[in-house]
Amino acid sequence: MNAGFELWLFAVSFGAAALGGMLGMASGIFIVPILTMFGSIDIHTAIGASIVSVIACSCGSAASFLKGRLTNIRLAIVLETATTAGALTGVLLVGAIPVSYLYFLFALILVLSARQMLARRREPLSPKTDADAPRRPWQLDSTYPDRALGGDIPYQVRRLPIGMILMYGAGLISALLGIGSGVLKIPAMDSALRLPIKVSSATSNFMIGVTAAASAGAYFVRGDIVAPIAGPVALGSVVGAAVGARILMAVSGERIRLLFVAVLMILAVQMLLAAFGIDIMRGLR
Amino acid sequence: MSAAAKELARTEGVLASVLQYGTWCASGVIAVGLALAFFNRQADMPVVAAGIGLLILLPVVRVILMLGAFLRQKDYRFAAVAALVLTIICLGFVAGIMSRSGGGG
Repeated sequence: MNAGFELWLFAVSFGAAALGGMLGMASGIFIVPILTMFGSIDIHTAIGASIVSVIACSCGSAASFLKGRLTNIRLAIVLETATTAGALTGVLLVGAIPVSYLYFLFALILVLSARQMLARRREPLSPKTDADAPRRPWQLDSTYPDRALGGDIPYQVRRLPIGMILMYGAGLISALLGIGSGVLKIPAMDSALRLPIKVSSATSNFMIGVTAAASAGAYFVRGDIVAPIAGPVALGSVVGAAVGARILMAVSGERIRLLFVAVLMILAVQMLLAAFGIDIMRGLR
Repeated sequence: MSAAAKELARTEGVLASVLQYGTWCASGVIAVGLALAFFNRQADMPVVAAGIGLLILLPVVRVILMLGAFLRQKDYRFAAVAALVLTIICLGFVAGIMSRSGGGG
């Protein structure tokens, strides 16, 4: 393992995390595609490195969301039973799933992320509350501070069972692909649980670390996490995310958004080709 | 602020600090490990591996802290939920160990 390669790993992770940090988006989605496509790294090793960086970014940014009183930790721990169960399932399955399927799944997730980045999300001016809804036994309803609306806005947590099922799926994909699955968790919390978008983002970010740890622990013990690769990637991600969050966008936010989407689509196409490329090679033998 | 809200704020503050400092500590260990390996021209990176291990344990510590907070607040329902999450994570570790020695899954 030469120092040049390590530096490349660090730089690539730094760049992706900084880009994501500027946009408030996670960069974990980039790591496996870049490592496999450009670094010629085995996908399972890449997934191992990615899942570690996902934990690092989640834990590193959790504090600011917590201090902003946006994270609903009770909801998080309840949903985490589902995400970690999904992650555990993923750990048990990952050996059995053909690599080409993983590439294909990755391509889908990349396209989904691009779609979400393009869609403009607007917070409704009035919070979704239902005064006549029966009081839930789980005390998950809470408030969050909204400067624009002036003060603490109450919100309710709705349709928890559907949310749990979606979280199970998110955890499964997180373990299979080595990503944070925020791209799945946030819309699930937004539409299924009807949470304010800021609470969804904060709580999803909070949960990502625990979800990832459920699979990372297994991969670590299995030896799928290679220190010379995972180390620079995790370090680059943490530093990049911190730097990215602090950079005020001198370039227009819209340009960066489009750059993000462009990179996502390019990687999606490459992953798609890899998915079929491997099949074609098998067919030729 | 009500007493419950104060407790929640206190818990969240502790979690924020632990996660913040924990991330930087673990990252620091990784950085030191990488530097050591570079200057000693080693391919083996036990210190980096330790730093990675610390990162993986950080969310686990976070759940344990939440478990403690819920118990202190006598919120046994949520404490049970936290305990369940810890159990599932441990099962993950076990699954990893078993698939290593057993081979193939």
